[in-house]
Amino acid sequence: MHGELIKERQPASHIHDPDELHAIAQELRRQVIRMIAPTGQGYVQQGLGAADLFAALYFSELRLDPADPTWPDRDRFLLSTAHNTAIFYATLAARGCIPDALLATYTQDGSPLEINASERLGPAIEATCGSLGQGLSVGVGMALSAQRRGRGYRVYVMLGDGEMQEGQVWEAAMAAGSHRLSNLCLILDYNKMQVGGHIDAVVDMNPIAEKWASFGFRVDAVDGNDLEAILAALERARRHEKGPTCIIAETLVGKGAPSLEGVLGHTMRLPPELAQRALAELSGEQL
Amino acid sequence: MTATASSESAKVEDFIACGAADAIPRFYGDALVEAARRDPRIVCLCADLRGSTETDLFARELPDRFVDAGIAEANMIGMAAGMARCGDIPFVHSFCVFVTRRCYDQVAVQVAYPALPVKIVGFLPGLTTMLGVSHQAIDDIALMRALPNMTIIEPSGSEQLGAAVEAALTVDGPVYLRMKRPDTAIPGLLPRSLTPGKGEILRLGRDGVIIACGVMVAAAMEASRRLAANGIDAGVVNMPTIKPLDETLVVESARRTGLIVVAENHSIIGGLGSAIAETLLEAGVSTGFARVGIQDRFAEGGSTPYLHAKFGLTADAIVEAYERAAGRRKAMLASSSAA
Repeated sequence: MHGELIKERQPASHIHDPDELHAIAQELRRQVIRMIAPTGQGYVQQGLGAADLFAALYFSELRLDPADPTWPDRDRFLLSTAHNTAIFYATLAARGCIPDALLATYTQDGSPLEINASERLGPAIEATCGSLGQGLSVGVGMALSAQRRGRGYRVYVMLGDGEMQEGQVWEAAMAAGSHRLSNLCLILDYNKMQVGGHIDAVVDMNPIAEKWASFGFRVDAVDGNDLEAILAALERARRHEKGPTCIIAETLVGKGAPSLEGVLGHTMRLPPELAQRALAELSGEQL
Repeated sequence: MTATASSESAKVEDFIACGAADAIPRFYGDALVEAARRDPRIVCLCADLRGSTETDLFARELPDRFVDAGIAEANMIGMAAGMARCGDIPFVHSFCVFVTRRCYDQVAVQVAYPALPVKIVGFLPGLTTMLGVSHQAIDDIALMRALPNMTIIEPSGSEQLGAAVEAALTVDGPVYLRMKRPDTAIPGLLPRSLTPGKGEILRLGRDGVIIACGVMVAAAMEASRRLAANGIDAGVVNMPTIKPLDETLVVESARRTGLIVVAENHSIIGGLGSAIAETLLEAGVSTGFARVGIQDRFAEGGSTPYLHAKFGLTADAIVEAYERAAGRRKAMLASSSAA
C-alpha cells in the first residue's frame, strides 16, 4: 500500500447526495435525543434545528483528517454558540473525530464533553467559545493567518442569531470585510430563538441580510434544513473570491420531531416521555 | 495617497504621545522589529495607536505581518488568538486600559485559558497621561494577575524596554507587557537585561527594602538616597515580573531586614503590593510593611508630575511609607519582647 508515502489527506466521505446526508442528519438528531434524555439537560431544540448544517459541514464540506486532527491544512470550524454541543459532539463522534463511547458521558461531572464545548476535549475543538460574540474574531484571525502564509484551508464559523446582539460580532465583521477574507464562511444559525424568546421580541435584528452585506459579506439566505440548498450555498461560498460569505441558514428549532418543532425553549428540559416520543418520531420517518 | 497623514508623514506635533517625534527613542518598537526579523512567527496588531505604541516602525518595515485592527480591541484580541492557534506569535498593542479592562473577557477566554503565545502590550501605565480616568490604567495589573497562565512584566524604565521584548518571547504562554515610553531622548542610556520571574537588587540595604516596579523604581532609588542622608540603609529591588513573583527574593528581603515597602504606579489593591503581602503572610514572615500606590480612588487628568504628587507616587511618599513601616516594625518588636 502507499499509505506510508501518500497519506490520504481527505478521507472525508464528501457526500454530495442530499438524501444520504439527510439520513445522516436524522441519525444525528436521534443521537441528540439519546444524549440529552438521561438528564433532560442539553440544548435539544437548537441541536435538532442545526442537524442538517452539521451533517453538510462535517460529511460534505470540511477538509479534515480525523486521524490527524492537528493537520495544519485542515479546514477550521468554530462553533461560536458553544452551548449547542449535543449536535456538535454527536457529529464529531459520527465523523470519527472523538470516540463514540464518550457520548454517554455528556455533561457528566469530569467528562470532557462539557455542556459548553471546551478545548479540554482536544483538538476537535478549535477554540473555546461560549462567551458569545467571540468566535468570529478568532475565525478572522485564523483566516488572516492562512492568507498571510498562503495556506489553502478555509475557516467556517457558526454564529447564533441572538449572538448578533454582541458588539464584538460587528467588530469582527468589519475586519473580515475590510480584509476581504474569501477564505472565511460565516453560517448564521437563524433559528429565531434566544433565551428571552423570539429574537425579534428581544432585540429586533432586521434587516439581517442587509447588515451583513453592508459589512462586506456576500449574503446567501437559504433554508437551513434543506440539504440541497445548504450544499449549494457552501459551494457558492467556496467559489466567491472577493470576500467573506455569510450564509443565513433559516432553521426550525426542534426540526424532525413534530412534538418539538417550533417550540421556543432555549434551555428547555427534555422530560423522559417527550424524549421517547421525539425518538419515535425521528425513527418513524425512516421507516 | 489619501489626504490623511500617517504618523510618518505628519509634520504636526503629537501632544499626547509624541509618537512621531524623531527625537524620542523607540526602544520597544526597534526591539520588536529586530525580534520579528529573526522570528517569522511574530506578527504585530495595533488598535489605531501606531505612534504611541511604536508599532509604526513595524508597519513600515514588515507590512505583511502588521494588522491595524482599528479601534476595536475586543476583536483584536480574538484575531490574535486565532492567529496564535495557527502558529503565529502575535504582539497586540494599545493603551494599558484598552488591552486589559476593555477586553477582559476576550483575554480571559481566548488567550489566558488556552495559554496561547499572545503578547499583550499596553502603554500609558497608571498615572502617566493627561487624558484622565478613561485612559489611566490603575487596575490593569490586578486584572491580569487574576488570570491563570498570565505573566506580567513591567520594565523599570527606558533601560529595560528593549529587553522586555526578548523576555516576553522567552515565556511560552501569554504575557502582559506594561510599558512606558520615554518622554525625552536619553543620551548615553545603557540597556539593562530583564529575566522573567527574577527581581533585581539595585541596592542591597541593611535596614529595610523598597520593592518597586515601573516608574516607581526611580522614585525608590531617590527615596533610598534621602533615607541614607538620615543614616537609614534602605535597599531597592526592581521587580519587573509581577507574576510569577520572585517569592524567594521577597521572603529573603523581609527575613533579612524585617521591613518592606512596596511602591507601584497602580492601585494599592491587587498589584505588586498585594502580591508581596500575600507572599509574606503565607510564608509566615512577620515584617514592617507599607504600600505606596494609588489609594483606592480614581484620579483625574493632569500632567504626570502633578498627578504623582497629588496621588502619592513620589519619593517623598515612599520615605513616609518607609517611616510608617519602621514604626510598625518597632511596635511589633516591642510587643514580642514584652510577651
